[in-house]
Amino acid sequence: MKNTPQTKSNAPMLIIGAVLVIALLGGWYLISSSKPGTNSNIAKANNGNSASTPKQPTVPANAPQGATPPNQTGSATALVTIEEFADFQCPQCAATHPIMNEIKSTYGSRIRFIYRNYPLDIPAHDKSYDASVAAEAAGMQNKFWDMQNMLFSNQKAWTADPNFKQIWKDYAQKIGLDVPKWENDMAGIAARARVDEDKKRAKGLNVSSTPTVFINNVEIPFAQVNVAGLKQIIDAELQKAAPQGQQPAPAAPANAAK
Amino acid sequence: MTETEAPNIEEKSTIAKLPILAALVALAGIADAIFLTVHHYNAEPVPCGGPFDCEMVLSSPYSTLSGFVGNVPVIGDMPLSIFGAVAYFIAFCFAILAAFGDRRTWLLFGVQSTLMATFACYLFYLQSVVIRAYCQWCLISAGISTALFIIFIISIFVKRRLA
Repeated sequence: MKNTPQTKSNAPMLIIGAVLVIALLGGWYLISSSKPGTNSNIAKANNGNSASTPKQPTVPANAPQGATPPNQTGSATALVTIEEFADFQCPQCAATHPIMNEIKSTYGSRIRFIYRNYPLDIPAHDKSYDASVAAEAAGMQNKFWDMQNMLFSNQKAWTADPNFKQIWKDYAQKIGLDVPKWENDMAGIAARARVDEDKKRAKGLNVSSTPTVFINNVEIPFAQVNVAGLKQIIDAELQKAAPQGQQPAPAAPANAAK
Repeated sequence: MTETEAPNIEEKSTIAKLPILAALVALAGIADAIFLTVHHYNAEPVPCGGPFDCEMVLSSPYSTLSGFVGNVPVIGDMPLSIFGAVAYFIAFCFAILAAFGDRRTWLLFGVQSTLMATFACYLFYLQSVVIRAYCQWCLISAGISTALFIIFIISIFVKRRLA
């Protein structure tokens, strides 16, 4: 008789404890069994295809060209072209920025990296279009990449600040722009036209979210947009494009092991 | 005597069943929130189709929370779904304790489910007005929060009838 109420009072705690343990273990298992950049994840992202085998080109030949010349680094004649569509107010784009920097520094002139502005037309990204124009205006003084770096690296600082234009002005001074000219270019048509051209290309390619990355005209699943995933594709593309008998050295020991 | 007691027993049993139902619904909420959290940390796009644009919603600034004390980040970019999982778990605890006869926790469940349903309305507003895109997994979560609130409201009406 004495045991019955005690059993009753323990039962809910046992159920709650069991649910807590199952939830924590389940969550931990799912996260640890599918880390980004692991082979299983990349293979899954490629719908079971070989991770190093890119899919058919997804860029139609008649797609709008985007701003010409594009904002690009590396070599214009490189065998691998990476084209990124990004939005300066998108947190995932800011997270992708250091990934792309690592890729650029690893491959140097063996790749061509193109950055495309794709400011999303949503109220939450109300400063994004202007940010793209600010970067393009900096590009008119050959400082596009410096401004792009400033905007992504300090995204949180200016996104939440109503005086964001003053913050951008500080960045312009810091990277050594002729600030009055930069302000003048921001107000002009040319910088806006370049952003609009990039947007047209994004829409022509049915880019629906940012960041969206294409490698040699093939859209890369977002799950693969990490250093290991991108290196795997780039190495495969370099190998494919290299003349017979010449095998380009893989970029990372991790990939060499694969 | 037996005739007058019969409906009361039935209604009492309905009251006892509601917290169990609420606990099961809260479990579904925990599963949904863990699913979204796992996808956030794995940087994997969630399965999404039709009129939904999950990536637009889940990569928006509203999908994560950052806390600062002065300029020092105390929590950095934690997905909202983690807080959702904790909220559903708390609701589950209250419901389970209530199912085993603790009446006070059912009141706490009421407060919790009201707050959750209110927050779900705010998130629905963000999707429909600010982000202008919907994520089906977020809508499922909003539906679950609303269901928990409705269960609590039903319990109040059943209790009144009993009184």
